[in-house]
Amino acid sequence: MEKPRRWRWGVNRWFVLLFAVLGFFAAKVYPPILPHIQLPAEAYSHNPLFSLPGIGEFHWTNTLTALVIADIILFVIALMVRNATRSGKLIPSGLSGAIEALLEVLYNLTETTAGKWTKTIFPFFATITIFVLVVNWMELIPGIDSIGILEPSEHGYQIKEILPGVTTILKDKMETGGYALIPFVRVLSTDLNFTVGLALISVVMTQVLGARALGINYFSKFLNVKTLFSRPIFGVIDFGVGLLELISEFSKILSFSFRLFGNIFAGSVLLFVIGTLVPVFAQTIFLMLEFFVGLIQAIVFGMLTMVFMSQATQGHGEHAEVH
Amino acid sequence: MDVAAAKLIGAGLAMIGTIGAGLGIGVLVNGAVQGIARNPDASGNVQTNMILGIAFAEAVAIYCLVVALLILFVG
Repeated sequence: MEKPRRWRWGVNRWFVLLFAVLGFFAAKVYPPILPHIQLPAEAYSHNPLFSLPGIGEFHWTNTLTALVIADIILFVIALMVRNATRSGKLIPSGLSGAIEALLEVLYNLTETTAGKWTKTIFPFFATITIFVLVVNWMELIPGIDSIGILEPSEHGYQIKEILPGVTTILKDKMETGGYALIPFVRVLSTDLNFTVGLALISVVMTQVLGARALGINYFSKFLNVKTLFSRPIFGVIDFGVGLLELISEFSKILSFSFRLFGNIFAGSVLLFVIGTLVPVFAQTIFLMLEFFVGLIQAIVFGMLTMVFMSQATQGHGEHAEVH
Repeated sequence: MDVAAAKLIGAGLAMIGTIGAGLGIGVLVNGAVQGIARNPDASGNVQTNMILGIAFAEAVAIYCLVVALLILFVG
C-alpha cells in the first residue's frame, strides 16, 4: 500500500509567514519599480546575431530564451512519461498520471467533435494545448521578467550594488542617464511573433486536413461556382458567401494570435502594475487569476484549432447531391 | 492638447468597446447556466460550447485592449 502523504501544515505555515515578513521588509528597503513596458521583445545586445540581405537583422531576444526553456521543460516531461510507461506499472502515478488524465480529457473532447478524424486531429490539439500551457504558466515563476541585464537608457533609474555582482534598481528616477532592465527571460506569449506563428500553423494545417478529407471539393467552399450557372441569383449569393469564408480564414489568424497575445501581455502588465502599487500580498490574488487565464487561453487555442479542423473535414451542405 | 495626454485619453476611449464583450459574455453564460440547470446531463457539452462562445466574444475585448496597448506603448 502507498503511504498516505503527510501534510506538513505545522512546518509549512512558518515558512509562509517567514517569506511574507521577509517580502514585506524587502519591499520596504528596495521598493519595486514599474518596468519599462514595450511590445517588441528585447534583444540582449545591439549587435545582431546574423543578418540576411533583404530581410534584416536577427537578434537573440529574451522571448527566444523562454522558448528554449519551454522546450526543455516539455522534453523532460516527455522523457518522464516515457520512463513511466516503459516501467510496466499499469497505474501511472505522479506527473505521468496527471499527463494521462489531461490527455484523456482532451482525447474524449476530440472524439465527440471530430468523429473518425480524431486520430489525425488530436495530436495538433494536444500539442498546442500543452505547449501553450507550459509557456503561459512560465509567467508565474519568480524571476522571470524581473532578473536581467542593466542597460544604460535615456530615462532610467539609479542603481546600487547590494552584493558583489548583484545590483538592484532604486526607485529614484534620473532626469538623464541611468539604467533600465532587460530581463533574461520574458514570457513567450507576449511576443507577437510566437502567437502569429502558432496561428499560422493552426490555420494552414486546417486547410491541409480539409483538402485531405474532401479532396478538391474542399476549395469549392471558397470559390463556389457550382451553382453560378444553374441558378444565377442564388449562385451569385453562394459565390459571395464563399468569398466571405475566404476572408474569415484570414481573420482566424488575426483573432488566434491577438487573443493569446492580448490576454497574456495584459496579464503581465497587470502583474507589473499591481506589484508596483501593492508590493506585498496583493499580487498573490492576481497570480491566481493569471494561473486560470493561462489555462483557459491554452485550452481555448487548442479547442478552436480542433473545432475548425473538424469543421473542415466534415464537408459542407450540398455534398450529398454532387455525386 | 499634449500628445501624451491625448494618448492616455485615447487608450481609455479604446477600452469602451469592452462593454459589448462583457454584455455578450453575460448573455452567453446566462443561457449556458439555464441550459445546465434544466438538463444537468448535458453540462459537459454545454460547457464546451460556452467556452468557445466566450472565447469569440472575448476576442473583441482583446482587440480593444491591443489597440489601447498599441496607443500607450508603441511610438
